[in-house]
Amino acid sequence: MNNDIRVGVFVCDCGTNIARTVNVPQVVEYAKGLKNVIFAEEGKWSCSVDYLAKLQEAIKEHNLNRVVIASCTPRTHEPLFKKTVKEAGLNPYLLEFVSIREQASWVHMDDPVRATEKAKDLVKMGVAKAILLELGEDFRLPVKQDCLIIGGGMAGMTAALNIAAQGFKAIIVEKQPQLGGLLNKLDRIAPEEVSADAMVKAKAELIAQNENIKVYTNTEIEDIQGYIGNYKVRVKTNGKSEEFDASTIIAATGMKEIEPVGQYGYGDDSRVITQLQLEGLLKSNGLEAKRDVVIINCVNSKNEERGCCNIGCLASVKNAMALKTINKGTRVHILYRDLSIVKDELSYLKDARNMGIKFIRYTEERQPEVSREDSHLMVRVYDLLLGRELKIPADLIVLTTAFEGDSTVDQLKGQLKVSTNPDGFFQEAHVKLGPSDFPSDGLYLCGCARSPKNLKDTCEESMAAAMRASIPMKVGYLEAEGIVADIDLDACNDCGICVKNCPYGAIQLVDDRPNVLKALCKGCGLCAADCTKDAITIVHYSDEQILAQVEAALEEKAQEKIIAFCCHWCALGAVDMAGVSRLQYPPNVRIIRVMCSARVATKFVLRAFELGAAGVLVAGCEFPTCHYIVGNYKAEKRMERVTKKRLAQKGYDPSKLWTAWLSATDGPKFAATMRAMTKQLNLE
Amino acid sequence: MSDSILIIGGGIAGINAALNAADYGCQVYLLDDTASIGGMMARLDKTFPTNDCSICIESPLMYRVDNHPNIEILTNCEVRRVNRNNGNFEIRLVKKARFVDADKCTGCGTCVEACPVSVPDELDGKIGGMRKLISIPFPQAVPNASIIDPRCRYGKMREQGACIGGCVVDCSQCRECPIALCVKACKDEGKDAVLLWQADKPMDIEVKSIIVCSGIKSYEPSTGTYGYNVYENVITNLQFERLMNAGGPTGGEIVRPSDKAHPKKIAWIQCVGRGDKELPYCSKVCCMITAKQVIITKEHDPSVETLVFYNDLKAYGKGFYDFHRKAVEGGTRYIKGKPFDIFEHPETKNLTIRFEDLDKGELMEEEVELLVLATGLIPSDRNKRLARVLGIELNEYGFFKEKEPLNAPLETNVDGVYLCGGATGPIDISESVVQASAASMKAVIARR
Repeated sequence: MNNDIRVGVFVCDCGTNIARTVNVPQVVEYAKGLKNVIFAEEGKWSCSVDYLAKLQEAIKEHNLNRVVIASCTPRTHEPLFKKTVKEAGLNPYLLEFVSIREQASWVHMDDPVRATEKAKDLVKMGVAKAILLELGEDFRLPVKQDCLIIGGGMAGMTAALNIAAQGFKAIIVEKQPQLGGLLNKLDRIAPEEVSADAMVKAKAELIAQNENIKVYTNTEIEDIQGYIGNYKVRVKTNGKSEEFDASTIIAATGMKEIEPVGQYGYGDDSRVITQLQLEGLLKSNGLEAKRDVVIINCVNSKNEERGCCNIGCLASVKNAMALKTINKGTRVHILYRDLSIVKDELSYLKDARNMGIKFIRYTEERQPEVSREDSHLMVRVYDLLLGRELKIPADLIVLTTAFEGDSTVDQLKGQLKVSTNPDGFFQEAHVKLGPSDFPSDGLYLCGCARSPKNLKDTCEESMAAAMRASIPMKVGYLEAEGIVADIDLDACNDCGICVKNCPYGAIQLVDDRPNVLKALCKGCGLCAADCTKDAITIVHYSDEQILAQVEAALEEKAQEKIIAFCCHWCALGAVDMAGVSRLQYPPNVRIIRVMCSARVATKFVLRAFELGAAGVLVAGCEFPTCHYIVGNYKAEKRMERVTKKRLAQKGYDPSKLWTAWLSATDGPKFAATMRAMTKQLNLE
Repeated sequence: MSDSILIIGGGIAGINAALNAADYGCQVYLLDDTASIGGMMARLDKTFPTNDCSICIESPLMYRVDNHPNIEILTNCEVRRVNRNNGNFEIRLVKKARFVDADKCTGCGTCVEACPVSVPDELDGKIGGMRKLISIPFPQAVPNASIIDPRCRYGKMREQGACIGGCVVDCSQCRECPIALCVKACKDEGKDAVLLWQADKPMDIEVKSIIVCSGIKSYEPSTGTYGYNVYENVITNLQFERLMNAGGPTGGEIVRPSDKAHPKKIAWIQCVGRGDKELPYCSKVCCMITAKQVIITKEHDPSVETLVFYNDLKAYGKGFYDFHRKAVEGGTRYIKGKPFDIFEHPETKNLTIRFEDLDKGELMEEEVELLVLATGLIPSDRNKRLARVLGIELNEYGFFKEKEPLNAPLETNVDGVYLCGGATGPIDISESVVQASAASMKAVIARR
């Protein structure tokens, strides 16, 4: 079969950026002598429009079916060359990219001979892999235009209206008898001073008028199966089960107060209530005039267990002002830790102080205490400014409590196969750049289901989640690159490790056997590296292809060489940064690109040492960043706990296996690592 | 009828809005008035509360933008005039001369090596960061192409040794420059991408909606504030961020300006400038920026002593308070109180901070080797001009005004113009991303 493989190698001068150091004609001649190479050529600027046309002609003229580009870095230029070979009629997965600028000419400027040797090796490794490349295809999952929204509070309603505004179908499932969620328990919204009821009413009316929105109230989710484009949902609505399909799902389940039972007399004395209970009293005008009210903030917040509740300070000041409005004579004290009001803080607090509201700060170490004295309650708090304890009488104590995720979340997270933090707030795909997404495609989140937040932020998050859900619904399908896992069921023993470990839920059981939903697979290769039966192939990064690169690299002078497996995103970013910055390091290393460090199986490392490599480096993203959520953590664990042991068992020195966790700006660190490794391994 | 979207500002908000709208199927123009997209995030070291490396998580998105068939990137470009016609916006843009053909330039950097003149960098100048007159903004820049400082032409940099400083002919009149070293270097490489004669070029586009995400600016304290600009070892938190960054002027070495030594004791002062005329509000992110900076400082060197003078701690977001605790548990002393006096030791250039510890009620002092002023965020210089051109309103602080923050968040007084990110006020990256998705939702619905 190998006779049919016709490889073309195109080596770039990059002006003189490569050619100044690397002897490109020698590399071209060397390439011509490699197995299956039909054609090799030097190009002054491979990425120029005229050369790309020449490249396409060469593919046709020499009937090439594999292309190796040896030039700059795949991180910036691979898409261009993929497009070029595709236009020439070649499957873009039959392209292999070799970086001889960032990995050779720019980093070994003082040693042209060894830089050239290295470039030859890199080309040989590229050709070895190219020979084994197989046709790839992009995968598509059809997605229809219907979105399930779990929760009918402000978040769910806002998301539904935005989904429906595009003509898509939105299905709201709300467990309460009416829409509105937490807002139904609130009086007014601060700082805008809008009535919560009016907000709910306006939204609910818009929803009632919208024929694209179907609302289930008094309804709970019983079961959710499937994946993007194909969710089967069963609900229990007013006592009976009903089933429907959905293509995408938004979790907008909101939050609830953590009741401070046993704290500050709550539960024992009816005069100690929560902020939410105060809202209820204010809302129903059920509050008699009070003489002394003490509000205690940060109850169960800002401690070892839990952070800032985000909304408590604003709520406490708003309600203190409401109490003052009801009865000017009410004395109101707010005991606080930090006043964390963000918007218009200064003017808001000034208004509050002008109304006579008193603020007293306390610390985590010295919490206020509540006791009963005769007929009234007494609050003791240490005043830091006065340097003594104050005693404040109270006929109402309001506790600003912390929040946790809704009670349905425990069940729901199992149904959606997503995770939460200890407080039951859903965990987003990435706290910075994926705030509206779950790791699995097709699942989105918004509002207080993610973390406590005010109404404006909730509405913004709901619009954002609606947008994220709308993209696949508008496009009509979800598309994934062809770098995906493929399971050989004949070799598989159904152990289930891959199903459990996939960060994207892309491997699901079908008739008790693992099945890769290819459009959901991101191609990290974690599953393949951990598969005990070698049953999983990662297209474009198969075991055979990677081992072929290892073998090609170590064919000659293996004892002088270091094999470095670098992840595409950060480790290779650091390699490129070292290149761009012209940082010089010893030329012993041969880099093999993987998408994620988690792809690096123990057997790759073992093979390198069997062939006599001086050392092996596994480099991935700096913690906690990982393009594949947990890949670097898994890789580190595997290398430390499994690979090193196996090396020792086989009689190799485990200290010759290094790991490095790099950010994309860590050029200096990568160069330093290479220098240190070369020294440690006595390669100088 | 056009159904395109113009996104003004190529920072993390603009990038996200562009990718969302383009993935949805819209044609997007992503405009930035600097030489690269990426915005402020591209220049930060780490991001709170996870300490993710900033450029590591942003650059994959920048490359996606670069390769997206539905996105046209317009860098070094400004909006000059906007007309409303039949529900569309007719927009006159000006592509400012880059003096380099960005399509031909491969970012190889040979011209930069050839350039004889270094000048202080706009961002890093105060902490010793230099750049050449021809430069690539940063290694991951998109487009990855050089840009020439316009001062290089017309002999303005003659005294600094600019190679074309002595020429009597106006660059715009010449097509063949025999003098400029960058032109020669590029030609020697077989390219001819440096075009010193390039002029600003107008460009007209028509779009259905506009998203304004023109960013925000780090506040620069006035001279004398806690010794800023007077004492050498007083810097802002943005300058400190650049010192921490491996891509910054010191290659990630935390060294102080006076003697380039690694400071062993560093203090941060929070809320610098708050209450000033320019900064009458809380910028909300500075507490977490400081928590991040003390944690990273300790990661660089655990023996460095760190202390923070703070007022009210703003740890409002998910995971923020845990992050603050991590800073405290790492050994950073948080002192409640605002320093009232700073003076410099003439020989050591160390700084003595006098303050009242509000928890103890005592007057105290501390001597530190480097002082970082945690300043807030103020409206971008672009806002006033953009507001005028687009006909949208600014609020009392100078940020763009939302029509109805609760009922119509991110909408402006002009239908079809939406806001997100730092254009709306102080904001963190995560909130910018949320707003960007939300604004793109508005923009695509408005197309219907």
